[in-house]
Amino acid sequence: MRSIKEKIAPYVLLSPYLFMLIVFFGYAFIRCLYFSFTDYDLFSPPQWVGLKNYLNLFRDFQFGLALKNSLQFAVIVTGFQTIFALILAVVLNQKIKGIRFFRAAYYMPSITSSAVVTLIFMWLFQKRGLINYLLTLVKTGYPIILTFCVFTLLIQAFFIFIEKLKERPVSFFEPSFLFLSVMLSLMVTLILVKTATVTLAEGLAPIETVWLNSKKRWPNSGVLGISYPLGSIMVLNIWTTAPTFMLLYLAGLQDIPKELYEAAAVDGATKFKTFWYVVRPQLRNITFLVVTMGFISTLQMFDQVAIIGDQAPLDAVITLAYYVYINAFPSSVSPKIGMASAAAVFLGILTLLIVLLQKKAVKS
Amino acid sequence: MKTRKQGKEIVLTGKAAVEIQLKRHRWYRVGSIYLVLLLFSFLFIGPFFFGLISSLKDNPLEWPPKLSVNQLKPANWIAAYKLGKAGSGQGFFGEFAPGAVVPFTVTYQVPAGQEPIPPQVVVSKRVPGTAGAALLIEHYAADYARVSTVEEVNREILVDQSIRVTYHFTIHHTGNVVCDRLPVDLTVPFGQQFIKATIDPNRPHERLGRVQSWNNLTSGTIPYIFYNYHRVFSENYSRTTGKQLFSSWIWNSFVICVARVLTTIVFASMAGFALARLQFRGKNTIFLLMLFSMMIPAQVTFISNYLVLRDGVFGLSKLFGVDTLLNSYSGLIVSGLVSASAVFIMKQFFEGLSPSLDEAARIDGASTYQIYFWIFLPLAKPAIGALTILTFQGVWNEFFWPLVVFTSPQDRYTLTIGLLSFRRMYGVAFDWGPILAGSVISALPLIVLFVVFQRYFVEGISFTGIKG
Repeated sequence: MRSIKEKIAPYVLLSPYLFMLIVFFGYAFIRCLYFSFTDYDLFSPPQWVGLKNYLNLFRDFQFGLALKNSLQFAVIVTGFQTIFALILAVVLNQKIKGIRFFRAAYYMPSITSSAVVTLIFMWLFQKRGLINYLLTLVKTGYPIILTFCVFTLLIQAFFIFIEKLKERPVSFFEPSFLFLSVMLSLMVTLILVKTATVTLAEGLAPIETVWLNSKKRWPNSGVLGISYPLGSIMVLNIWTTAPTFMLLYLAGLQDIPKELYEAAAVDGATKFKTFWYVVRPQLRNITFLVVTMGFISTLQMFDQVAIIGDQAPLDAVITLAYYVYINAFPSSVSPKIGMASAAAVFLGILTLLIVLLQKKAVKS
Repeated sequence: MKTRKQGKEIVLTGKAAVEIQLKRHRWYRVGSIYLVLLLFSFLFIGPFFFGLISSLKDNPLEWPPKLSVNQLKPANWIAAYKLGKAGSGQGFFGEFAPGAVVPFTVTYQVPAGQEPIPPQVVVSKRVPGTAGAALLIEHYAADYARVSTVEEVNREILVDQSIRVTYHFTIHHTGNVVCDRLPVDLTVPFGQQFIKATIDPNRPHERLGRVQSWNNLTSGTIPYIFYNYHRVFSENYSRTTGKQLFSSWIWNSFVICVARVLTTIVFASMAGFALARLQFRGKNTIFLLMLFSMMIPAQVTFISNYLVLRDGVFGLSKLFGVDTLLNSYSGLIVSGLVSASAVFIMKQFFEGLSPSLDEAARIDGASTYQIYFWIFLPLAKPAIGALTILTFQGVWNEFFWPLVVFTSPQDRYTLTIGLLSFRRMYGVAFDWGPILAGSVISALPLIVLFVVFQRYFVEGISFTGIKG
């Protein structure tokens, strides 16, 4: 027989968390559902209005924009950061000296706050910022870049040709030769630049694209084009979150038994085939996790939009989360809690749906 | 016999050649890996590094962007030290004090055929940054400074017949009050080109190169290097309490972080232990609800949570004489006592421990609390380490919820919200110096923490990730 004291012990231990779960999640969740069917301004008591808020939501042009921006953002960022994280992990999965340093370095963007990272990026994306400067360098420096590329290719081709003459099996992108070619080509290009044989292209205007305060869209100005400021936030987000997911992939790669690689090597599989048929299936669970976490966080994207604030047109960057916020705490009119809650419920359902769909896609 | 030996030798040299080639191959391969790693490092560290050095610059938006920074040149450090010493007797932190005699030398170049004209020296009343900063200045150096006559000390004729002239003058303090800044502008006619001065000007090309201006000649070395950092603190004061805003923000963030880390460690380990090692009714429901709560966006719950804090958690806070928990530390702490993900991490960790641990203790007659406190808590050190770091990072970087909770007064903000107000204030004028400096300061604690406790960060990620 367990004493009563022992029986209630689990609940006592859980009580602080239960308090949080009930008050700041359960109660809040139910109230949000309730508010979404009412007219409420935070002060006078809520008035029941049925589905009016939801109907208004779909009539609101701004909500449509927010939905479009959020979906665009979630799909593009999740896709790119997953691929990028995988590439990084494969690159970093090496047993060489100093790997710990690189791992730490790559993780830097993930530990700093969204506020800091967004501010630094806003600065880089200014009209006279580093991004435009680098683009200008590429634009005016194309003769040098071209020279470098041509020489790299030529030298690489020469190496491969010699190897082929000696009848050794070698692929064109053999990394050890590529490294040598890049180094040699770099030297040649440097000499050519120093002797002024190859120079910067002259007479080209510097690139002064306005990235943030712009209504321009890419690839076209249609509804589905990505607005410049949102595109900039996408770049920022991929850059900050890829390293976090890289760590997950890295752990997954290190869990793959060595025998699998050896077996593949014995069967004569190429590097790519080994990756595609051996490594990729092993990483399936992690990919599911990475994509799920990616979707959940990108659909909620808020901080970047709030920090950029009036430095970009609202319509170009508004997301569902920001839509909810500005309806709940608008700067001039009284709060529209009903609309905000309805939009929040919509965002919640959308998140759950995408996660479920994803789960199904992975299982099948 | 002879031929056989020869054959063997040939084979050997062949083998050696292959081996050498393989070795070379391996080296190039390692080299190429490092090359790729380095490229990626530029990508990830580059923006931070460039932001860091640009936060020292007079104009972080200078075009073309340069890696060389006046503030990082030792010649300027020494000059700033000497000028600070001349202004107040202190080289590291200078002022413009009574009795000061500040010597200054400047060199111009004039094209052939133009007669050099001495610069016009003005001690200006200019104040950098926001209007609020102007209110804080009590004494303007302009009211007390007397500039000596500008004398030509050297003239040099260059190969192309253009002339380099060096002028010297001194600035005297004639009054009896201490001024904290000595801003100086030099004006010359068109065509007369600025070459160099005792210390590099903060703005060398005002009015198409006619005006060179210095923010504060007698600043001393440290304020000279960290000019933008100094502005972050000195230009922002609370209108109500008069406290420095930025230091308040740092302190607020720190207090909230420490409090929430402590509550998280205690409550998450308790809940995690219960969910992982105890059997009770409703366990599965609670766990599923917890997972569900992790998927629901914060935008769903924040309105109700805002109201809960506004009304002091159902009026409970009135017992402590507080009407509302908005705009207060306690509000942010109460609403963040412990998070679902923290409980999740602890649960995963406790589940991984051997089942015999509590069985043995139960046979010895230990109570649940004793088992938690004496057996499991001490074993959970690695998980608690990871949890501490992750929670600290999470709270320090939190943005959305503090933005909702903290509206006024400004000195209640956390760092992230403070940085947003910085962006609003300085961003309008494209004055990126203080914004970057503020960002660097607010990122610094986490970066230090990361460098010291790197292992825990990585472990924390794998706790939340892989096992989940």
